[in-house]
Amino acid sequence: MSARSQASGWWGMALLILTEATLFGSLIATYFYLRFESTSWPPGGIEKPSVALPLAFTAMLIAASLPMFAAVRAAKAGRTRAAWWLLALATALQGTYLGLQIDLFLDNLQTFGPQGSAYGSIYYALLGLHHAHVAVGLALDAWLLVFLFGGLTEYRLLALRVTALYWYFVSALAVLVVLTQLYPSL
Amino acid sequence: MAVAAPPATRERLERLERIWRETPGVLGWLTTTNHKRIGILYFFTSLAFFGAGGVEALLIRTQLIGPEQSVLSPEAFNQAMTMHGVTMIFLFVIPMSIGAFGNYLVPLMIGARDMAFPRMNALSYWIYLCSGVFMYVGLLSGNGPNAGWFDYVPLASKTFSPGPGIDFYALGLLFNGISTTAAAINFIVTIFKLRAPGMSINRMPLFCFAFLAVSFALVFALPALNAALILLELDRLLGFHFYDVFRGGSTLLWQNLFWIFGHPEVYIIILPAFGIATSIIPTFVRRRMVAFPLVALAEILVAFIGFGVWAHHMFAVGLSTVTTVYFAAASLIIVIPSGIQLFAWITTILTGTPRFKTPLLWIVGFIVLFILGGLSGITFAAIPFDQQLTDTYYVVAHFHYVIFGAAVFPLLGGMYYWFPKVTGRMYYERWGQASFWLTFVGMNVTFFPMHILGLDGMPRRDYTYSGGLGWSGLNLIESLGAYLLATGLLTVVANLAVSLFRGEPAGEDPWEGDTLEWATTSPPPDYNFAVIPTVSSPYAMWDRRDRERDAENLARGEKTLERGHETPASTAVDAEWDEILEMPSHSSWPPLVALCLGGVFTMILLAQWIAAAVFLLLVLVALGAWHGREPRAA
Repeated sequence: MSARSQASGWWGMALLILTEATLFGSLIATYFYLRFESTSWPPGGIEKPSVALPLAFTAMLIAASLPMFAAVRAAKAGRTRAAWWLLALATALQGTYLGLQIDLFLDNLQTFGPQGSAYGSIYYALLGLHHAHVAVGLALDAWLLVFLFGGLTEYRLLALRVTALYWYFVSALAVLVVLTQLYPSL
Repeated sequence: MAVAAPPATRERLERLERIWRETPGVLGWLTTTNHKRIGILYFFTSLAFFGAGGVEALLIRTQLIGPEQSVLSPEAFNQAMTMHGVTMIFLFVIPMSIGAFGNYLVPLMIGARDMAFPRMNALSYWIYLCSGVFMYVGLLSGNGPNAGWFDYVPLASKTFSPGPGIDFYALGLLFNGISTTAAAINFIVTIFKLRAPGMSINRMPLFCFAFLAVSFALVFALPALNAALILLELDRLLGFHFYDVFRGGSTLLWQNLFWIFGHPEVYIIILPAFGIATSIIPTFVRRRMVAFPLVALAEILVAFIGFGVWAHHMFAVGLSTVTTVYFAAASLIIVIPSGIQLFAWITTILTGTPRFKTPLLWIVGFIVLFILGGLSGITFAAIPFDQQLTDTYYVVAHFHYVIFGAAVFPLLGGMYYWFPKVTGRMYYERWGQASFWLTFVGMNVTFFPMHILGLDGMPRRDYTYSGGLGWSGLNLIESLGAYLLATGLLTVVANLAVSLFRGEPAGEDPWEGDTLEWATTSPPPDYNFAVIPTVSSPYAMWDRRDRERDAENLARGEKTLERGHETPASTAVDAEWDEILEMPSHSSWPPLVALCLGGVFTMILLAQWIAAAVFLLLVLVALGAWHGREPRAA
């Protein structure tokens, strides 16, 4: 028997990931383009970003991939309840990550704003777009939690697999985003 | 096919008819997910925008018919010039080639019954329509964008363009980009998954290779534009400083991001035309394409190399010599895959037995114009020459030869070629040939003198020129050429419009075409093919034995998939039978989601953040509900 092709939904998500990855590639390139156009980075008066918290948060987001992975395994084995709870755990971690990130974001806004310099502009734009991608993932989680409650179908299993794929991508991206964000301090 | 069919066969066809039947009336068109209907919607919408862009072009040419004219005010000229470019590229050529031709033909050519994501396909169309209306609301309310289609900062920044025109442009293109990205993803998955079992990738028509290349180019090119536009709107609406040199920003950042998108975009525009040429040529010269694998690879290479040449649009901005030389060399490399295709087309025509019917005439015209546009393109890789001629009419001449001559001529030829398939009627051959000659002559009279004017130093984008510069005569000729060109295009539309009602019946396969769309009735039934076709070469219609096998399969009821709304899926490369997919049918969610998204962008334009968030929430809820209805398990 020949290897079966992935489902259409999987292909669709893989391509969405490619295009979104290119978007973030453009933004990270923008960050460094602006950085090499200026003599001081961050510009005078702005402190270098503190390293510990963003890295810890990112570790938490990556950790959420484990219950996500386990949820897909459980769903494939037909253990719907286990899949639901694992997904709920992943969602809780991811939601907490976003909450903490937004808190830090607002906290940063107290010290320097996006309207002060190009550094501030790209700093907040990059983080904001990353947060938007996390929020989309949470919306996918919410949809799954509602529909998995009504039982598992092949369609919902695919939705779960595809959502997991999306989260692996967002987690990998989070690493690139946080390294870019912390670049002046590294 | 069904005329003398035995009762069992007729019953099968009736059952398929019942399963795939579309909702009648306007509601049916609003909720349709059928790729052919969506293709037709795309066709008429992009044709309407072609008309709008054409009117803008004629206004521009009328303003420039003589020195110091005042048909348009400077501001109106700038808006017409900008919207002409935006319309032709984003609202006409891409939706016409990808949306109309791609949607209608790709599933037929690969022997599928629909696109991989039929509802997302509908969503692409409705978003495209809404985004076009969005941008035209700007123009018609006197707030059209006026900084050119490339929208350079600082001219496009809030300081120098305080009105909402640029916001209509940036938000409109972001909105439009969602549609194009979704369409590109849909084509890739359709081509990878839904090819008729047996159509391994080397047996796929070259047309589909072109669409595959375009779709990948879109997936990787559009994000750069989207990033540029998002940053621009952050600057304009929220006071960020990406493009503000006084706060550490960079104006060249815009140019880099824009052209990282913009140059692949040129190939995105032209590759479908290559695909159409490779469909029409074999049919009308009665032989297979020369060097099939090389042409397929060249189509993909053009799309790929197109990503490495963007800075040749920026030779005059003060980049380092090393950078300019690199980009000049990369630009020259594109000659190789383009040359492969040109030589393959020409050799195929010369070694075949050509019938110069209207479709082939357009393709021959295309080859001539592409060579001319390509030759003037090569001159830009000579850096000092480019620096001398940038921002003159020489550039305008070059890209109209490439974009109008090379990209639109095959679209027009394709309209004639597939007209019998889509409508079941023939067009008027003599008027078809007349329309070609009118357009061809009009095109050259309009755009060729621009080379000379450019060499003379006439700057582009200016709303007028003074009389003593010696430019008046050629400008007059260009404007007259533009009216001739418009006459030619109107003849195309008139010919097809009259033929729609009064043309001779065309039958299934009036051209003895080479690809699978000719295997089914004209127009094709909602289910496309009663039998999933047997395929053993890229010229499926010329494999008589396979078509006989289809008829046998139909009689026996094999490979008919008549139990549900189904299409087969096969493996990505070898196209072995994989599974049977239950396809979703009509849905009212796509137009609703598109409308709500339109609300989001309108509210952002008006800086009504809460209302924008409410519309966004509505989009999410609608998407959730949309995906709550599952296709039944096969």
